[in-house]
Amino acid sequence: MREALWVIPTLSYLGFVVLALYGRGLTPSRAAVVGVGTVGISALLVLALAIEFMTSPPPGHAYVQVLWQWMEVEGFRPPVSLRLDALSVIMMLVITGVGFLIHLYSAEFMRGEEGYSRFFAYMNLFVGSMLVLVLADNLLLLYLGWEGVGLCSYLLIGFWYRDPENGYAARKAFVVTRVGDTAFAIALFLIFTHLGTLDIQEAMQQAGRTWGADSGMAIAAAALLLGGAVGKSAQLPLQVWLPDAMAGPTPVSALIHAATMVTAGVYLIARTHVLFALAPPVMLAVAVIGAATLLLAGFSALTQWDIKRALAYSTISQIGYMFLALGVGAWSAALFHFMTHAFFKALLFLGAGAVIMNLHHEHDMGKMGGLRTQLPLTFWTFLIGASSLSALPVVTAGFYSKDLILHNVGTSESGSLWLWGAGVLGAFLTSLYSFRMVFLTFFGEAKGKASGKPGPLIRIPLVVLAFFSLVAGLVEMPSLFAYAGLDVHLFTRFLQTTLPGITASPLPLSVEIGRELIIEALQLGGILLAYMLFLYKPGIAGVVARTPWGEALQRLWRSGWGFDRVYSVFFIRPFVWIARVNREDAVDLPYVGMIWAGFKANRFLSRTQSGKVRWYAAGIGLGALVLLGIVVLL
Amino acid sequence: MLPKIFFGYFAVVMVVLSLLIVTRKNPVHSVLWMLALFFHIAGLYLFLNAEFLAAVQVILYAGAILVLFLFVVMMLNLKEEVMGERFGKEWPVGISIGAFILVLFFFTINKFSQGPTGQYTIERIKAETHTKAIGSVLYTEFLLPFEIASLILLIAIVGAIVLAKKTK
Amino acid sequence: MNSADFIALLPLIVPALASVVLLLLITFSRSHAVSVLFTLGSLLLSFLLLFVAGGGTPRRVTPLFIMDAYSLFFIGLLFIAGIVVAVMSSRYLGERSMERGEYYVLLLLATLGASVLAAGSHFASFFAGLEILSVSLYTLIAYRRNDDRGNEAGLKYLILAAASSSFLLFGMALVYAQTGSMDFFQLAEGGRVPDLTVVLSAGLLLITVGVGFKLAVVPFHLWTPDVYEGAPAPVAAFIATSSKGAIFALLMRYFSLMDLQRFPAVWYGIAGIAVASMLIGNLLALRQNNLKRILAYSSIAHMGYLLVAVLAGGTVAKTAVGYYLAAYFATMLGAFGVIAFLSGEEGDAENLEAYRGMAWSRPWTAGVFVAMLLSLAGIPLTAGFIGKFYVVAAGAGAALWIPLIVLVAGSTIGLYYYLRIVAVLYGRVPEGEGGAVTGFPGRVLGMTGGILLTVLTFALLWLGVYPAPLIRILQATVARLVP
Repeated sequence: MREALWVIPTLSYLGFVVLALYGRGLTPSRAAVVGVGTVGISALLVLALAIEFMTSPPPGHAYVQVLWQWMEVEGFRPPVSLRLDALSVIMMLVITGVGFLIHLYSAEFMRGEEGYSRFFAYMNLFVGSMLVLVLADNLLLLYLGWEGVGLCSYLLIGFWYRDPENGYAARKAFVVTRVGDTAFAIALFLIFTHLGTLDIQEAMQQAGRTWGADSGMAIAAAALLLGGAVGKSAQLPLQVWLPDAMAGPTPVSALIHAATMVTAGVYLIARTHVLFALAPPVMLAVAVIGAATLLLAGFSALTQWDIKRALAYSTISQIGYMFLALGVGAWSAALFHFMTHAFFKALLFLGAGAVIMNLHHEHDMGKMGGLRTQLPLTFWTFLIGASSLSALPVVTAGFYSKDLILHNVGTSESGSLWLWGAGVLGAFLTSLYSFRMVFLTFFGEAKGKASGKPGPLIRIPLVVLAFFSLVAGLVEMPSLFAYAGLDVHLFTRFLQTTLPGITASPLPLSVEIGRELIIEALQLGGILLAYMLFLYKPGIAGVVARTPWGEALQRLWRSGWGFDRVYSVFFIRPFVWIARVNREDAVDLPYVGMIWAGFKANRFLSRTQSGKVRWYAAGIGLGALVLLGIVVLL
Repeated sequence: MLPKIFFGYFAVVMVVLSLLIVTRKNPVHSVLWMLALFFHIAGLYLFLNAEFLAAVQVILYAGAILVLFLFVVMMLNLKEEVMGERFGKEWPVGISIGAFILVLFFFTINKFSQGPTGQYTIERIKAETHTKAIGSVLYTEFLLPFEIASLILLIAIVGAIVLAKKTK
Repeated sequence: MNSADFIALLPLIVPALASVVLLLLITFSRSHAVSVLFTLGSLLLSFLLLFVAGGGTPRRVTPLFIMDAYSLFFIGLLFIAGIVVAVMSSRYLGERSMERGEYYVLLLLATLGASVLAAGSHFASFFAGLEILSVSLYTLIAYRRNDDRGNEAGLKYLILAAASSSFLLFGMALVYAQTGSMDFFQLAEGGRVPDLTVVLSAGLLLITVGVGFKLAVVPFHLWTPDVYEGAPAPVAAFIATSSKGAIFALLMRYFSLMDLQRFPAVWYGIAGIAVASMLIGNLLALRQNNLKRILAYSSIAHMGYLLVAVLAGGTVAKTAVGYYLAAYFATMLGAFGVIAFLSGEEGDAENLEAYRGMAWSRPWTAGVFVAMLLSLAGIPLTAGFIGKFYVVAAGAGAALWIPLIVLVAGSTIGLYYYLRIVAVLYGRVPEGEGGAVTGFPGRVLGMTGGILLTVLTFALLWLGVYPAPLIRILQATVARLVP
């Protein structure tokens, strides 16, 4: 069974190739069958592989499939090899599982759109690239998947390319992530030149031996990798592309946010955790970036009116949690949150998509309201998603994963109370903005009229995702539950073989209960506050917002803390200015000159092709003359 | 001394004859000068104790090939005006390249020093006689290239027929 | 010669015999199909016999031939190229009223000549192989007898090849005068080439003149575009691949046996030729509108790239040469294949404008052509990329920075004209009454064309994505190149 590992990404690519080549000739339903079917089969395969992996794990809990050696030049031997271990199993399960549901949803959501088969071709390529990324056993192949993911995000965000705005958003995503990609590429060169290998496992071992802990090289390499991760995962300071990426179709947003793209950074750090463990300063940076991002994005989410933008900021914030966990060495906790987040975020996006679709492409939450009765199924599933996002205790999956992160941050040796405090404050913000969305969209008076009801292909993914958003957390119980006899740690145990646990100092029971109570109080308080502000007494929010301070803050938060403006002032405008001043382009002149010289040389040399055989013979003679001249002169 | 004089005669005359060949306006004259050249080459072979080669040179080149050349030239029956220009405008270029190559050869040959010799020294050929030596080498060691050379002739025949045959 | 020698030499004997038998055969039956099938059959048989001959290798058969893994590899490559060219020609000739049987006789013999070169280890076999190849090509190039350009090309090739052969012979004579041996292996033995005398290096460089003419490297390249243009497309494919590949195989063996890289005069001579070829070949192609001429210029540049590997020397370089040649064979045969199969009776499909917008009317053919062009340009995931990467790696290993810079510059210039063709293929079809008819409407590739081009494209991608098996074979062969 394991030998079929290569089939999983291949299937997605196959779907892509078929759709890209024959897409025009296929009817929409056939295109959908190809697009959804290939990912569906992949998902089933992954499930089978995962079950096999759990019941009879391969020796060493990892299975490497070397497909072939790409080339072999002077010690540069990148094999094309896939690695199946606990980490990649989890990633694949989420990518193909959630990816399949999103594909299924898209089959109905995108119906009637122009470029239906093109859409599925891109989506398949996206899933395929992401699978290559997580399966790759060496950094070069990983980089291939990484770039593939970047390319697909560009193609999909700009899917409705006729609107220049969308094209701009796509370019922005591409350019901003490229900054991170460059750092990543430099990290690859660094690792290859210094460690002599691109094989991930080998490089990790080598790094420990050659560089040692806290050495400059290790810090540099880890920092560069972090740069790549920050770009892809939309963390500070490269988070600006994600809100604009909402220009793409809603399923694309779901795919980018839940299953692919933005989690690539989290995966990269988890995959190279050995290297990060060698660089404590970078670890601290990861944690601080995570904490800062989750707070900043949380505030921003609070003030958005576009439902998709609000969700986008919430994603940035939640990925911030994952980074926070990674930063304190709680690798499994980050992965756990990644999994639950994939479920509830995909659910929220798909729910939002259903709302938007039925409200004639209305994104503004201010113009929604009262949809509870008009779209009951969407409402209930969205509510479940929002509860899970707010980590509603015990009944939702989000609770378990967020609790694990906060617990680890609080107890880990590299954690601190500050980081913990940031996380807790973030939890409060999370429930506040989540339920703001719920209340604005589904409660209150109806401002718009929903047209029709979502069909089965939309309902099924919603229900399935809602189910997982509730129960997926049960595989890992909070440490507090151990006192109640519920000592379940399936998830961390499973990942133990790949990702080591944290070194933590156990807390006294009273402290732990106290902390737990603070968290829960803040979370529930957030929901309550949202109820007060946005449903019960909507006036208060308005009054607060109208004070000068309130207005200023609101504007700041809504624009994502003005990062775009800062970048605009510091990077974009100077650049545009330089471009304008340099319209004739001094830098270009040598190139223009080269082109000119090339054509001149061509014209000159063309005259040697006179067609006269005597002339040609003279050429031979001249050659002999020059060669003999070399002999005589040397 | 005497061999040197003889060699000098042959060498100089060969150069002069070659020049005559390429400068004559009438191709028939050129071919006839070439005949003279081949005789002189045969003379040089004799110097190298290669009497068999000398004979073959006369019989094959002078006897057969040049007669063929003459046939062709006469068959073409070139008109006077066609024979007019022997050189294009490029001849100064050709001459200067040739002259420079000559100078360089002079430098090169000047530095010639005898390296290790091959198997067939003059003494050995004298002892064995040239015809026998060449025969035994040709039909033992060099049998394969001999066969291959026959293929070259075959190709030439086939090619000539294909190109010269009247189209149906 | 004993029976073991005979077996080792079988792959060369069969095509020689086959050409004679075919000559007799066409006196009985002038059926085109019979000639084609016989040719293909004999080439295939010779190819299979390589494996039989491989049993007794390495083996020197008389001082003239060395049958080792290296020569077997290249002979195999040449036979495959011969088969591809024969298939291409069967369609090409079938549509035209030409003498058909003789063509295959000459093709078989030309392939034989090329194989003799690949297995040669002696000046005698070197020269004999070269002449067989050349003399066959004289006729093949001029095979379109009612085409003036064809006749002109044949005659040009004849005159210039003869002139270059004279340089080659004179060079051999000088080398013999200094070393007393024409046997490569004897030359390689210690003491024969103690140090470089002026006469010896003059001899070596004069040999380079002859070889350079065949390889069509600057400044011996001037004939190339005229001959490619005048020759029938399959013959041009043969000149671009087999003729050059065989010479290159021999050159590589000669160079490594005598370790010529250590002589500065030779080294600088080759380096100058390589640099000039890379630059001038690419520059000449820039504004060319005749596809066959573009490919001619492109082949000049490619030979320049290969010479960089020769300069580098060492195992990696030899692997690089083998790989590059295999990739180059597949690519050039494919590119000329497209031209050959699109060519109608009114002339070869060589005018670039005739291809405008072909991607829309016949996407597959255009796709194949694009694949070939990208491989020539050295775009990743094609065979051309791996080949070039190998050459660059070999060059960097030997710190040949100036040739490498020129290589990169040349490749960049190359991109311009390769992509220009791609742009034309995907260009807008001229509309309206005045617009010329483009994209070869009505031409069908037919079964042979479709299969052949598909196979070549797959070979190209296969070599580009999964080069390991071929590299492994090459490493095994070049390891034994120097005994």
